[in-house]
Amino acid sequence: MNQKKVNSNENENYGRFDFVGKTPLFGGISLLLVLASLIYLAVGGVNYGIDFKGGTEIQVKFAQAVTMDDIRKASEGLGIGEVGVQGFGDTSEFIIRFQGEQGKDDKETNAKLNEAIGKVRSMIDTQFKDKQPEIRRVDTVGPQVGAELKRNGLLSVFYSLLVILIYVSLRFDYKYSPGAVICLAHDAIITLGIFVFVGKEVNVSILAAILTLIGYSLNDTIVVFDRIRETDSEHHGKSSKYIVNKAINDMLSRTVITSGTVFTSALCLWIFSTGTVSDIAFAITIGMFFGTYSSVFVAAPMMIFIEKMKFLAKA
Amino acid sequence: MENYRWRVIGAIAGVLAAIVLLSPNFMDTSKINWWPAKKKLNYGLDIQGGIHLVMGVDINGVMQETATRQANSLKKELTTQATEKVELVNFKVTNAATGEMEFEFQNAADADKAHKYIGDRYGTVLQMIERKDKYTIYRYLDNQLVDLRSKVIAQSIETIRNRIDEFGVAEPSISQQGDNRILVQLPGMADAEQAKKLINTTAKLDFMIVDDTVNYAEVQKWIKDAETAGNFTMASMKYSDYVTKINEALRGKIPDKSVVYFGKAENARTMDAGSLAYVLRADTDLGGTDLDDASISFGQFGDPQVALRFNPTGANKFADITGNNINKRMAIVLDRIVKSAPNIQTRIGDGNAVITLGQRNQQESLDEAKMISTALKAGSLPAALEQLEERRIGPTLGADSIRQAQMGAYAGAFLIFVFLILYYRAMGLVASASIAVNVLSGLGLLTALGATLTLPGIAGIALTVGFAVDANVLIQERIKEELVKGASWKLAIREGYSRAMSAILDSNVTVAAVAIILLNFGTGPIRGFAVTLLIGIATTLFGNVFFSKVIVDTLIYKWNVKNISIGLSDKHLAKA
Repeated sequence: MNQKKVNSNENENYGRFDFVGKTPLFGGISLLLVLASLIYLAVGGVNYGIDFKGGTEIQVKFAQAVTMDDIRKASEGLGIGEVGVQGFGDTSEFIIRFQGEQGKDDKETNAKLNEAIGKVRSMIDTQFKDKQPEIRRVDTVGPQVGAELKRNGLLSVFYSLLVILIYVSLRFDYKYSPGAVICLAHDAIITLGIFVFVGKEVNVSILAAILTLIGYSLNDTIVVFDRIRETDSEHHGKSSKYIVNKAINDMLSRTVITSGTVFTSALCLWIFSTGTVSDIAFAITIGMFFGTYSSVFVAAPMMIFIEKMKFLAKA
Repeated sequence: MENYRWRVIGAIAGVLAAIVLLSPNFMDTSKINWWPAKKKLNYGLDIQGGIHLVMGVDINGVMQETATRQANSLKKELTTQATEKVELVNFKVTNAATGEMEFEFQNAADADKAHKYIGDRYGTVLQMIERKDKYTIYRYLDNQLVDLRSKVIAQSIETIRNRIDEFGVAEPSISQQGDNRILVQLPGMADAEQAKKLINTTAKLDFMIVDDTVNYAEVQKWIKDAETAGNFTMASMKYSDYVTKINEALRGKIPDKSVVYFGKAENARTMDAGSLAYVLRADTDLGGTDLDDASISFGQFGDPQVALRFNPTGANKFADITGNNINKRMAIVLDRIVKSAPNIQTRIGDGNAVITLGQRNQQESLDEAKMISTALKAGSLPAALEQLEERRIGPTLGADSIRQAQMGAYAGAFLIFVFLILYYRAMGLVASASIAVNVLSGLGLLTALGATLTLPGIAGIALTVGFAVDANVLIQERIKEELVKGASWKLAIREGYSRAMSAILDSNVTVAAVAIILLNFGTGPIRGFAVTLLIGIATTLFGNVFFSKVIVDTLIYKWNVKNISIGLSDKHLAKA
């Protein structure tokens, strides 16, 4: 321990990079990205999947070639409202999506939806019989459950953030916790923006993906905070800027190695998988980048900012 | 170096435990009696394929009907049994959810008299909440409401379970979800449409007289013969098909207008394992529509019994049947399964019967009383079910998903190991070993806890591998830092682990807190994610902090290795 202090006193330099000095630049970029995501989400609207708005998804694979138009045409004649058809993986695999028609109450809507499923299934089984269809997945969520899933999902995100706020204040110092929460919100909003931008529907598995991201980003932020706290206790009296810069520089190789490794393995998972796992791997891949970035450029500067506010309030 | 011996024992025990717990997944341990681990890893429906249904139970519909029946029977009692006879002119159920009923009497005095009777007789069931001249409003007491609602759910679960047993699905899971929902999970179900249809049909309750004139041993022999002749058993097919086949085979042998149904033998776990055949007379014409209510009551010695109340039509039929069949047994049959066959002791004219369960262990009697009353309710007051959510995954899709995820996981793990070993050399090998231990013990725990591995669960594991990599990198980088500062290997290792520990602990505890929240608020897939995350956090601490430290300590202290390669060049060391 003594040795360490001697070392750092000899070398007043905090390390290679001046991270704190770049705060205006990266803070600006972050703010811009968050605002852009929020505006994009507000204007374009979040494209909720059937988990949250209710409806049905049928994934069907044909042994023989079938075009998307064939299915579209066949579904139009069923009189079940709007039907979406989307290609999936191979050329002869499709996801058919529909919400059924609105009834006068949830119960009736639900009944109509169940009726529509029957129609679509029999359409596939009769009109495409010679193409050897295989129904691989059917997801149906009634309107009642959809609203509830959405509420529970939002609640779980909200409570998670609350717990983090409290834990970080207790374990570290209150000046750290707003940084942690804002950093997570930053990551979640940008990732959600990206998800919607690339045309993914927001459903339960995307929610799981975003929670995964929050999990990783949180892990990273806490590791950075821990180092800042440690540096702070060894160099008390130095400016926050010095302490934060030194802490981040000291652990720079860890940050690069960890994020690089996990990024690569998440990328592998993303490349190989489809469906739920692919969505989650995609979220980890993006999240690795933003999680690492935000710990350094959002969470740490936030902490300095809170400290300055405190200082100003005292003065 | 404190507690080195214990730590070594702990590390070895942990790794061995993980291997033992995992063993059933890759070898057949069911035949080795002394082997402690028998459970296999459960795969979620999204992996093994199957059908997941959420059914809404129309509790209010049942409450409405219950309240109406209650009022009807009160109306009758007030004119016949009450000491001061009163006429209940009119009633209506004003709020089904609380069973609120409004009664109209001829005048205020009548309302008072009726209130006295209701207070004496139903004081523990109903309470008056409003009184206005000749009108009174009653509702069920809160504890009654809770009880009624839970019974409705229980009977619906019972009905669904009966239906699903028909299919012989390996491990169906039927459970209550929230206040008024039932979650049905059927793994590997090919015949989904039929299952849904069956679940949605209501239960059929029949009361039938057991025909004791037929010799039981003879019936058993006929059944055996029919089974051998047709080459089938109860276990090999649906119960309803089995019953149909047996009855076809036995036609002519058993008396006309009678059927053979089966009940579960007392100590058997399933019907297949031990069934009792009953020859029943099919001409009684007394069924679910004749029964008003069934509940558990207690006899004068506190012994549990089942109380039945028939409606007026039912009461008449019941009086005739019991009068004609004294000392014979009456079978309670739900969906062609004999649930119980109590003895008729006397003619019962007023439609109120009691089934006593004989002298036995109190708990057993209570369980049986519950079973019988649930079956009776399921048949007499079926709750309408509404399908709210359905997720069906074909077996090929699940197989594809898991194969792809495995490929991705192997490729990712390979890259991580190669990188760690190239970058950290010998210490990278230790890190890789500890990550492998982490994943193995995580899967071992998942298996042992009987948790279900779902696709989001796999993502949870991927995430914890990320944390594990981070924990290792934190430790290695810290050791390097200490070495660069000129610390000896012993000191560097001690400092490296202990200082990295605070970051590792803090980050894992925070994530664990979040996982617990998800476990409470999340549904289905999110919960699977949270479970693997929690387990992964525990094993990260074991594998990457505890296990790897033991290896490094062994190298340095026991085997006196002076220098472990960690990927530091001489140039770096020279800087110190």
